[in-house]
Amino acid sequence: MGLRQKIVDSDFYRQMVQRRATGPLRSYYDIPAADPDTPIRNVEFVALDLETTGLDPKHDEIVSIGLVIIRQLTVDFSSCQHLLVRPKKELSESSVIVHRIFDSDVEQAPDIEIALAHILPILAGRVLVAHHAPIELGFLGHACKRYFGASLQIPTVDTLVLALRDLHRQGQPMKSGALKLESLRHTHNLPPYRVHNALSDAIAASGLFLAQIAKRDPKGELELRRVLR
Amino acid sequence: MSLELKEISDFLKQHHPFDLLPDDVINALPKRLTARYFRKGTKVLSPEQQCLHLHIIRTGGTETRDPDGQLLARLGEGECFGVRAMFRNGKAANNITMLEDSLVYLLPEKDFHDLAGKYPQFNYFFEQMGGARLRSGMQLLEKRDDDQLKLMSIRVSDLIARDLVSIDIGASILEAGKLMSAERVSCLLITQNGDEVAGIMTDRDLRNRVVAEARSFDEPVTNIMTPNPISIGPDDYAFDALLTMTRHNVRHLPVMKDGKAIGMITTNNLLARQSLSAVHMVGRIRKMTKPADMAKVIAQVPELLSNLIEAGATSRNAGHIVTTLSDAATSRLLQLAEEKFGPPPVPYVWMAGGSQGRQEQTALSDQDNCLILDDAYDPDQHGDYFKSLADYVCDGLDTVGYVYCPGEMMAKTAEWRQPVRIWQQYFNKWIEQPEPKALMLCSVWFDLRPIHGTRSIFEDLHRMIITKAKGNRIFLAYMVGNALTHHVPLGFFKNFVMVRGGEHDRTLDMKHNGVVPIVDIARIHALANGIDVVNTYERLEAAMAFPSISKQGASDLLDAFEFISITRLKHQVRQIRNGDRPDNFLHPESLSAFERTHLKDAFSVIKNLQTALENAFGKSGT
Repeated sequence: MGLRQKIVDSDFYRQMVQRRATGPLRSYYDIPAADPDTPIRNVEFVALDLETTGLDPKHDEIVSIGLVIIRQLTVDFSSCQHLLVRPKKELSESSVIVHRIFDSDVEQAPDIEIALAHILPILAGRVLVAHHAPIELGFLGHACKRYFGASLQIPTVDTLVLALRDLHRQGQPMKSGALKLESLRHTHNLPPYRVHNALSDAIAASGLFLAQIAKRDPKGELELRRVLR
Repeated sequence: MSLELKEISDFLKQHHPFDLLPDDVINALPKRLTARYFRKGTKVLSPEQQCLHLHIIRTGGTETRDPDGQLLARLGEGECFGVRAMFRNGKAANNITMLEDSLVYLLPEKDFHDLAGKYPQFNYFFEQMGGARLRSGMQLLEKRDDDQLKLMSIRVSDLIARDLVSIDIGASILEAGKLMSAERVSCLLITQNGDEVAGIMTDRDLRNRVVAEARSFDEPVTNIMTPNPISIGPDDYAFDALLTMTRHNVRHLPVMKDGKAIGMITTNNLLARQSLSAVHMVGRIRKMTKPADMAKVIAQVPELLSNLIEAGATSRNAGHIVTTLSDAATSRLLQLAEEKFGPPPVPYVWMAGGSQGRQEQTALSDQDNCLILDDAYDPDQHGDYFKSLADYVCDGLDTVGYVYCPGEMMAKTAEWRQPVRIWQQYFNKWIEQPEPKALMLCSVWFDLRPIHGTRSIFEDLHRMIITKAKGNRIFLAYMVGNALTHHVPLGFFKNFVMVRGGEHDRTLDMKHNGVVPIVDIARIHALANGIDVVNTYERLEAAMAFPSISKQGASDLLDAFEFISITRLKHQVRQIRNGDRPDNFLHPESLSAFERTHLKDAFSVIKNLQTALENAFGKSGT
């Protein structure tokens, strides 16, 4: 973990940003973050995936959010959420090709402020699970800063980082594509998904996360801090 | 409903009994589910443990054992566990252990009961499986068990219900009748010098030969008994016993072991239940006079095969039954040929080779056969007779559904219709001067089995082949070289190596890369050790006693053979059920992860034993 990250994850930083937060982000910060010493089994997680118009949080925008809650190391499908978000700018051709989300699809969709107001209460007190989390953290953080005055601090498990640690531990040479969500799921004997969108990828990440935890500690008694980013 | 949950409902729709639920119900189901992941080896449930969900295996596999540790079931993708807990107030009844890393969907108990309450078919399935009526369900299952299948899996020795009732050869008819009445048996074995079998006497004999002929009861039993009765061995299948009885029109068969009678089985043991369709089919073929009629019976073989496999028959059983039908058609055609062209001028024996010879036929196969003639055969004098006979039978078999052998390895071809002395020359040449072309023939002609005619003609030739092949290291090394040309479809990382391109793109050739390599290995160990059976299972079982293959290796290979063969048969049955032509090309995705792992294991076993084969005999040629 880099120094910058340490600062960002610290309580001190949290208190600092909390003071600046407004609206739904303020309520988010009212609920204390998950304690890193809690056994994983007792922590609630939110597996989340975003689809965006590009890779740069400063210029690109979120077009959809998918999430599912994990309690007691069990994925709860009744908690599934799939939100389309109307971007401020028109959708570029390349983004449409990637996500198959068209302007007409998002015409009726809520703006990002409304979408955030919807998901922030879900994230409060829980731990974020994402595959390659810098994207999710970057886009959500940027949007929070822009609309609610402060960035988003949330304890996070990055399934890609866990996979990397596994590979390092095994001392295996890395094959190209080995860290892709789909191939990691395959390695853990998880079913393939045919459709790809924010929710299916969030569900896919939730399954991978369970597999990675089961591999470390089947009873879930491991402390949260051991798997945080 | 959102698209990604549709994946889950689609998965459920593919599995029984969820497929019985209406669309709107099953589409709403994913929202009721949760998912958990278990590592291989995790014990998920144990008896009396709380279990508030029906567990549906999404990927992976489990093993169910009762509280005494007895294995009850192995479950794979789409199957459910924790079923009994649903009917026992959420208390698990058995031990469930993960055999693989598995993703499992959980349906809450309440939702389960809601569904079971609303949809009787759904309820019925689970009640049968492990619910309130478990005991009656078990009985029902046993009853439903295909009679035919039972006959195939039961050995004659298991059917001997009581001690043999016998009487000495010096007894009178009266004494025999009294004993039968006292012992309440319909059949008596007549013995001499202690336990040597002299004959058999049945209540039918009392009726036909005593009462109807007004014979005195004081006459010796020898006057009415059937001397030297047809018998059967204790290790034969009940199915064979039934066939023997139908063939010879008898109702009792003494069971003989090492020349001594150890019991008796009767049609009552076997025919208590009817519906023995394969036996009926054989019976019908025996009465037919036209190949075209037989074709109608043989056309039902795929259906028969499907029923057998779906009823849980092993591939060994299925191969045996299906081959019995080819044998029946062949014998019947030969009888008809003899009626048409007159009795044979010199003795002959009709031999089946290849899969028919090994009793390993599947859905329809092509024909591999030859004629071995007595050495009194004179081509000028007798050539025409046997040519007509062979043409009649081979053409007949083609009409019936066993198409001509593409390599022309049929009695129809003059080369394969020869007297014993020529066949001796053939085998001499193949064994002493092995060459690649000849090796191709070996896979057919070293698996010969007599079907019809004078079997003793083959015996001397067979002995010669066995003796010659056994001592010939060079020949064996050539056979090994040939066997190793059939590669197992496993890559370095234990991944499947699939057929590429063409009609069968991305499939596994289960015949040439699975079945054939094992058949080849078994043949070599048999030939090397002088083993005279040709069935692959029997060859491997016999080879265990010899040092050329380890006991463990042979036993692993037997398991691998059964698994690969049954996977191939199930694939063919699926095709038959879909109205497609059965073939050997399997898409690995059509298997569950559980089956795929097993298949990989089976292929690794072959690979290891191919290597062992090379070490034991060397490798030469090809």
